[in-house]
Parts: sequence; structure tokens; C-alpha cells
Amino acid sequence: MNIFSDAARYVWIARTSARSNLAYAGEVIYRCSFLTIILYIFLRLWTAVYEGSGVDRVGGLTLPQMLWYLVVTEAIYMSAPRVASEVDEDVRTGRLAVHLIRPLSYVGGHLSRAMGDRVVRFAINLMVGTAIAFVLVGPISLSWSGIAMFLAVLPAAFVLDFLGMFLIGLCAFWLESTSGLALIYTRTVMMFGGMFLPLAIYPAVLQPLLKVLPFASMLSAPGLMFVSPSLPLLEESIVIQVAGVVLFAGMVGLVQFIAMRRLFANGG
Amino acid sequence: MNGGVEIRELKKSFALTRWTGFSRSVSEVVAVDGISMDVPEGQAVAFIGPNGAGKSTTIKMLTGILHPTSGNISVLGFTPWRDRRKLAHSIGAVFGQRSQLWYHLPAGDTFELLSRIYRLERSEFIRTRDVLIERFNLGPFMNTPVRKLSLGQRMRAEVAASLLHRPRVLFLDEPTIGLDVIARQELRGLICEWNRNDGTTIFLTSHDAGDIEHVAQRVVVINHGQVVVDDNVAAVRRKYLGAKRLRVQFHETPRPMKLDGVTVLSETSFEWTLQVDTGITPVRVVTAAVLDAGSVADIAVEDPPLEEVIARIYSETRKEVPT
Repeated sequence: MNIFSDAARYVWIARTSARSNLAYAGEVIYRCSFLTIILYIFLRLWTAVYEGSGVDRVGGLTLPQMLWYLVVTEAIYMSAPRVASEVDEDVRTGRLAVHLIRPLSYVGGHLSRAMGDRVVRFAINLMVGTAIAFVLVGPISLSWSGIAMFLAVLPAAFVLDFLGMFLIGLCAFWLESTSGLALIYTRTVMMFGGMFLPLAIYPAVLQPLLKVLPFASMLSAPGLMFVSPSLPLLEESIVIQVAGVVLFAGMVGLVQFIAMRRLFANGG
Repeated sequence: MNGGVEIRELKKSFALTRWTGFSRSVSEVVAVDGISMDVPEGQAVAFIGPNGAGKSTTIKMLTGILHPTSGNISVLGFTPWRDRRKLAHSIGAVFGQRSQLWYHLPAGDTFELLSRIYRLERSEFIRTRDVLIERFNLGPFMNTPVRKLSLGQRMRAEVAASLLHRPRVLFLDEPTIGLDVIARQELRGLICEWNRNDGTTIFLTSHDAGDIEHVAQRVVVINHGQVVVDDNVAAVRRKYLGAKRLRVQFHETPRPMKLDGVTVLSETSFEWTLQVDTGITPVRVVTAAVLDAGSVADIAVEDPPLEEVIARIYSETRKEVPT
């Protein structure tokens, strides 16, 4: 009972965060229009690549599959909430006190907020992306089992990314600003996660390494699961995701433990 | 003393690391230096001091956010830094410059969320919420997003939000900062009312003497991490300014009057404002002289404003304690 009511509190935070995200229509419209432009440019680029090279498949994907892969990875990437900068701001401005005065875990509270935020953003991005992909390349064949596999790897992809960003934010206890680190992190996710290019296109020597890094579990794994699902890929992705979550969560726990001892009364 | 706050020999110091080229030097900064005090349940205490005195550090140790370097604290029987989450159910806090309300949502949504976070019984939550809406006059803007509220409205909602779970101790860190005169008075009145009616212990830090005068029964002044004054508001005013203020209105222009220890602060044809150093001349002597000076229509004896008392305490402690 206690575990359920404890979990219910975090679910309610996620719910409130999701509602807050929808409350400001201006921002939603801005995000959608930005995503539309980005997707349109990349969809045209990939079309040119396929037409120019005259091949049927690139990295094992047909043109429609590649474009739908791009829709999914873009939708995930662009749904990322500003976790690192929020944690950074908590530390720098002393807003941490507002969180710590509550009977909640600091990381748990942020995770709930981030998930509520992200689910809404991702859903909107996916709807916009789907509409664009339908217009430009038409549908691809989807199966219920494929969708289930895609949905199975999505939550851990979000949690992994959250933990990575949270770790960056915690560095504010030691650094003047974490914005540089956050920029490096997001670009690393973009590059090694396979946002624009599926990992199969990367040099063969790099591929084994890229597959086991947690970044591929955040973007490439859900993207591939959506366009070309397979059980071996699902098993491999889940193993890497679980290992990544355990590793990142351990690092967050350790860094937070050390950081809280460095905490002093910021901002009076 | 399970119902209140007990602080014993509380110390907090920070290591400050400085790099000069490749050489590292570490110095110790003492923020709180041996504070001891008891606050009985239901008391309203103003915890004041100049910037950097150690107020916020103490408040953060009392709420379990910071670990002390040494010493003990008991808040409602809990050791805050060890039992932070348990204690959080019984305390509330308002940090004047940091909002706890969701910016894009109406305050009611934050109230609803807080009821889940504190696991409040539904009926109890609704009852408390309705009382707060009525007492804090939140009804007209309960459905308005927080971003569209005035600062006064937002601060009323902030304080109400921190009272939803009926905390036994409420920490208010500069709750009236930035508010206009009317909004300040309203908020002070509401805090006082809650303290009186609900018996909530209030821990107030503020640079505004009016907050202290209207809300607190007791003043604790800290400077350089140490308690330099701990007394009730009236006693502090008396002790630190052995002075009274006399406002006198006459029916006709009075004759000039000169007494040792009496300074004329303002003078018109029919009104005087005098500052009396009671250590030199007692008030009754001055009053008799005033009655002799002309036909008095009205006379009022007042304490000097608390701002002057606080300014004097700060300047005295600055002289006493080397920085």
C-alpha cells in the first residue's frame, strides 16, 4: 500500500508536468513548426541520397523506412526536457531548497517531471512527424508486435537520457556552468545515438562499440524497433538499456551523495 | 520539548578552496557559530540579521536541507537532516524569491498536487483548501494561471500552499519581499491569524522591520553566526533605544521648550514630534513640560520604529565582533 501511494505521488507529479506542458499553446506551436522544418529538410536530403546513389537500401533500410526512422529518432531527441539546466539552476539559485522541503526524493521528483513533460512532447512530435512522413513517403508496414517492441524500449530510452542529463546538471556543484557539458552531451547523443544516420552506416570498426554505448539505446534502438522490429534486437536493446540504467543510476546516486555534502546555502 | 524547536551549540562551517596558479589553499568559513535556542510550539519568532549573518544557513539546517558541522537540532522531535522526509510532513516553508507554484497552471493545480505529495485525506484536504481560499481571498483567481497573477496574489497563494498540509512549524524566508504596502499588510495579517488560530510555530526571516513588528512575538538577531539578541519585540525596542517618541498637538501655538535629552524631530505651528532620551529625562518630566508649554489637544507616546532598533543592533555588533 505504501509503495503504491508513494508511486502515486510521483505519477501525479508527472501528470501535473504533462498538463503544464500543454498549457502554453504558443510553445507547443513553436516546437511543432520547428520540428516540421527540420524533418522536411532531412526527408528531402535522404530522398536525394537514395535517388542519387540508385540503391534500394542504405544501412539495411529502404527510403520509407529511413524516413520513418528519422521521424522517430527526431521525435525522441526533440522531446528531451531541459533537465540539466533545471538541476543546474536548482543548485546555482538555491531553488534546491524548494524541492528538499518536500517529502520526496530529489531525483525522483525530477524524473517524474521530466517523464510527464517528455511523454507529451514526444506524442506531439510523433503526430507531426507521422503527418509529414505520410505526405512525403506514405505509410510503412507496422505490426502490433512491432509496436509493442517499440513501446517496450521507449521508457528505458527516456529514463537513460534523463539520468545522463541529471548527471550533467549535478556537475553544477563543482562547475561554474554546466551548459558546455550539456551541449557536448546532447551532441554525443545525436552523433553516437544514430539520430540522423542509422549506426549501420558508421564504419564497421566502430559499430560494436556504438551498439553497447547507452546512446544507441536512447535513439537508434527505438527507431529501428519501429521500422524493422526483431526479437534479437529487442533482447539486445533491453540488456544494454538495463545495464545503462543501472550504471547511470549508480553514478547519479554516488554523485548526488557527494554533491549534497558540498551543499551550502546558495542565494541567502 | 517535542512540540517545538530545540537548537544546541549549532555550528556550520564550509571549506573555501582557492587556487593561485598551481597552489591550492583551503580556508574555513564559519557560517553558524554555536547557536543555542528553544522555540516553544505556537510562538512566532523573527530570525533576523544582516546579509551573510547565517540566517538562511540556520533555516536550511532546521529544515534538513543542510547537515550541521556540529551541534544538535530537534524540530518536533525529529533530527532534520536524518529525518528530512518524515519531518517534511510537519513543516512548511515559503521562500519569498523562489516559487513553489507551477507557473503555467492555476494555483489550484499545485494545491491538488501538494495534497497527493503529502498524502492528505481527501475530505481533510478539501476542508483546509476551502478555509485557505476563503481566508486568503484566493477565490477570484483560483483558476487563473500563476504567470498571470500579481506578485501580491502569488505570494498569498504561496503561503496558502505551504499551509495546506497544516504544518506545525512554518518557515518564512522573506515572504513580503517586493510586495507593495497593502499586499504586505494583508499577508502579515494572514500569517498572524494563522499563528493565533492554528497555533502554528512561525520562523520568520526578513529585512523588513514591519514584518517583524506585526508578525513576531520574539526577535532573535544573529550576526557572524552567533545570537547577539534574543528577546521579545517590545523589550528589544526598549532595551536598544532608550528613547520614546512624543507626538503632541496643540490648540494654539505653544511656547518654546528646552529640556536636556529632548530632540525636536519635526515642528509646525500646532504640532511637535519629540524624541526623548529616557536615560536623561523621564517621559513624565517631558510630558509635564509639554502641558506647560501650551494647551494640548492630543498627546501620544510611542516607541521608535523598529528599523532604528535593528540598525543600532547591527552597528553595535559590527563594532563588537571583528570581521
